[in-house]
Amino acid sequence: MRILIKLAWRNLFRNHRRTLIMLSAITVGVWAMIFMTAMTQGMVSQMVHDGISVIPGHVQARNPNYGDDPTVNNLLPVPDSGIAGRLEGRGFSSWSTRLSVPAVISSERESRGVTLLGIDPEREADFTFVDLETIDGRYLEGVSDQGVLIGAKLLERLKTRLGNRIVLMSQTPDNDIADRGFRIVGVFNAKVELWEETWVLTGKETLQTMLGVPDQVTEAIVFGDNYRQVDEVADSVGDVFDNSVSVQRWTELDRYLGTMLEVMDGFTLVWVVVIFLALSFGLVNTLVMAVFERVREIGLMLALGMRPSSILGQIVIESMLLLIIGLALGNVLAWLSVSAFPDGIDVSIVAKGMEMMGASSILMLDLRLQDVVLANSVVLILGFLASLSPAWRASRYDPIEAIHKVD
Amino acid sequence: MSAVRCVDVCKTYRQGDEDIHALDHVSIEIANGGFVCLSAPSGGGKTTLLNAIGGLDVPDSGEIYIDEQRIDNLNKGELAALRLQKIGFVFQAFNLIPVLSARENVEFVMQVQGVAADKRRSLAMSILDEVGLGGLEERRPAEMSGGQQQRVAVARAIVSRPALVLADEPTANLDSKTSDELMELFTELNTHHRTTFIIATHDRRVMSYAKRLIKMLDGRIVDDIAQA
Amino acid sequence: MILTLRLAWRNLWRHARRTWLTIGAMVFSNVLLVFMISFQFSVYDLMINNSLRAFSGHMQVQAPGYIDDGSMRQTVAEIVPLASRLRQDFPDADIAARASGFVLASSEQRSYGIAVYGVEPAFEPSASSIPGLVTDGRFVESGDEVIIGTVLARNLRVSVGDELTMLGSGRDGSFAAAVMTIVGIFDSGIPDLDRSIAEIPLATFQEVFYMRGSGHQIVINAPTIDSASDYRQRIRALLPDDLELHDWTALQPGLKQAITADLSSSFFVYGVLVILVAFSVLNTGLMSVLERTREFGILMALGIAPGRLGRLVLLETALMGAIGILLGALLGGILTAYFGVTGFVVPGMEEMAVRFNLPARLYPGISVVTLFAGPFVVFLVSILATLYPAFRLNRLQPVEAMRAA
Repeated sequence: MRILIKLAWRNLFRNHRRTLIMLSAITVGVWAMIFMTAMTQGMVSQMVHDGISVIPGHVQARNPNYGDDPTVNNLLPVPDSGIAGRLEGRGFSSWSTRLSVPAVISSERESRGVTLLGIDPEREADFTFVDLETIDGRYLEGVSDQGVLIGAKLLERLKTRLGNRIVLMSQTPDNDIADRGFRIVGVFNAKVELWEETWVLTGKETLQTMLGVPDQVTEAIVFGDNYRQVDEVADSVGDVFDNSVSVQRWTELDRYLGTMLEVMDGFTLVWVVVIFLALSFGLVNTLVMAVFERVREIGLMLALGMRPSSILGQIVIESMLLLIIGLALGNVLAWLSVSAFPDGIDVSIVAKGMEMMGASSILMLDLRLQDVVLANSVVLILGFLASLSPAWRASRYDPIEAIHKVD
Repeated sequence: MSAVRCVDVCKTYRQGDEDIHALDHVSIEIANGGFVCLSAPSGGGKTTLLNAIGGLDVPDSGEIYIDEQRIDNLNKGELAALRLQKIGFVFQAFNLIPVLSARENVEFVMQVQGVAADKRRSLAMSILDEVGLGGLEERRPAEMSGGQQQRVAVARAIVSRPALVLADEPTANLDSKTSDELMELFTELNTHHRTTFIIATHDRRVMSYAKRLIKMLDGRIVDDIAQA
Repeated sequence: MILTLRLAWRNLWRHARRTWLTIGAMVFSNVLLVFMISFQFSVYDLMINNSLRAFSGHMQVQAPGYIDDGSMRQTVAEIVPLASRLRQDFPDADIAARASGFVLASSEQRSYGIAVYGVEPAFEPSASSIPGLVTDGRFVESGDEVIIGTVLARNLRVSVGDELTMLGSGRDGSFAAAVMTIVGIFDSGIPDLDRSIAEIPLATFQEVFYMRGSGHQIVINAPTIDSASDYRQRIRALLPDDLELHDWTALQPGLKQAITADLSSSFFVYGVLVILVAFSVLNTGLMSVLERTREFGILMALGIAPGRLGRLVLLETALMGAIGILLGALLGGILTAYFGVTGFVVPGMEEMAVRFNLPARLYPGISVVTLFAGPFVVFLVSILATLYPAFRLNRLQPVEAMRAA
């Protein structure tokens, strides 16, 4: 076996130019596999991360009718104070409850349709889409905060300023219009401009009072540890409520995001296989040539009594050595190029387009061990299979004919 | 007028730690229509001299003239053009393009020379006939014997009527009968077209055909005999 | 030339397996490129058409700044006469005037903030696909009539014949209110539109919101998207200077950028494929030159210039590339045509498709460009990759070359 490896190694570098070209091809291919995967996985995991921050939650409990008709008419059939007691101490990484209703916001000059959120600011600080670092003014203080926090883009649309008053109108359960003046106490920035236009935040109790629904909320939000494993969290939340409450995972709440995750996981495999196939032509070609040049030599070895299986093994080992070196180089190159962008790649030139896809304008690269393992094993396994045919042919030569072959 | 004139030509190779004097102050003159054999043991310098005359190798010093045109100071492109127009080469066996037929091998050189297609074809057919390959024009090299292959090479070398044909061990891979036939062909071409032949060989049968026999040893001319 | 071509062709088949493997790499990439590019461009066309035909149009005439602020006050004066003048000058284009505002729309049971559009009942059906998508009832004609989207109708719990109260502010900032009758419900399939807009006759809008004859946008559709930029120039020349004419890339920057973003990531994919083919070709080219060293040496000794031999090697690659183009375009075309008939569904794509105004089943179309663009690039890059082995011939010394095994 050792002699076979030694032979394969020396043969590999006999025609060093050809070996180097093939090695470059494998390296580029492996690099592309891993780098592209890191890019798509980075984009998806960020999309999911961002998406989860606006859904929000890994799991939500809400009125079964709320999905179709997200209004104050479809409140959770459990008092807010009761939910809090039940979610506490169950090991969720964070949770909160909120009241979320459609509303119209008007400044002295403009009006817009928005979603008004009555929140628990301390609890939501764990997962909010609001960039807490860059708030102009202040974040909300407690559930009974009387001010509103609005997005920078909405502020611009409304042609108003921090500290000014705006009017919010929404509907009560009796379909009366409840309206109320608020002071803008803070202006927030978010990753996606659309969010700055869509969401208006105030204290949960303030909104409950305005709409006349004390101690009532529309959703309970729960986060587990990992967005890819939410079944346990969902079961656990399900235990808290009875059947009158619908418990949904984020993949059901945002089908686009949920699908995206699956499609991209599938895409990774397709991409790796496609690249390998493109490489395989060159790989098989190199092996065919290597065998062809050495027909006489192989004939000699067979004549000297080497078993055909050893010939086969030698060619396969040569192929595997080539692949392993290429993989090593490709992996290192991919790791280096991913490390070159620790802060992600700025694609803000197409920010609006990324927004349309639900992604942000900084593409983070996410090099996941499982993707690297996938790429490497696909190359090794398929590479092994691809090298069998030329190797088998080599082992079938008739020694006498092979020795006398003239090119 | 001389076909080839060499004046004090030197060429030294380094092999390991040793300097090999492949050509050591060689001066010769070969007249038009000459039929010369260069004979020397292996390493005697005959191939080096032939290559220098053919412009394949540039001497370290000395002067070489073909048709009184100095060639040792020409560049690669000029040398290529010179070989194409004025010199025909015949090497040891296996020197045809394997994927082309006998006729196409002959035509290929003419095409590069810029001969028109129809003229090329008739010339190739007649020259192949002349070297005794009539009827074998469409065979590929692999389908011909060694002697037949060498005849194609000869046809290729003389088709453009060069003044000078250089042959390096042309019979090395041929049996004695085929060798005789090839030499008779050379003699005939020499008589008919007054083409100058310089043949490097160590085959005594070949030497017996020569009008002039030049013997070399260690890069020097040691003997120069006119033969009947 | 014929002889050289024949020589190149026969040289290729000295190693038929190697040649086929190299062509195989080209064909593999070409088929992928043809299918992916055809698919991609069909999708883009569909995205653009669906999105633009639905509502925003190829271009819009607006007051300066309206595109950014969308304020009620940024109006186009005397919008109806202006629109009809444009219609006279450009009879082939579909042109319709609109005004828009923001209101709180209330039914008996529910209230939602929505955008309300005043549209010209006679012309809107040709400028936007919404009037044609009224699935229940009919499009607005005159007076206090309104159509709304299916999602909004469901959310408001209303149906055709019900009344809808609209509260908002007029052009001068004063309170504006109207009670309208729902005459139709449309289903555009675009969630944003179905959820959040209502259309009423422009005349009614101007009255309710105190517009005094003005409006906010004139939507213009050129006969085709390709002729849009030509129309844009001609229309621009006729418009007063105080009005702006925006094309679809400005009206829907997300669309354009989503396409750009998608294109750039695809170019990465295509680039990698092409580079891998280039390596294959480079390898084959180098092998074919190295193994013929002796042969080339003899040819050079005969006086054939290295440049000519280099061209021979390039010609050999060009022949492989040509087979690659033909087979790639043929197989890629068949594959694309097959899906063009049966349609193409990526599992789990439905949700993604909706987001980009696309149907779940896509039918890729083929054009000369999508069929040959990819294979042609592969061809060029293959030639480039062969330059190295071809130039190496210049370094060949005939004497040494002839000695090579």
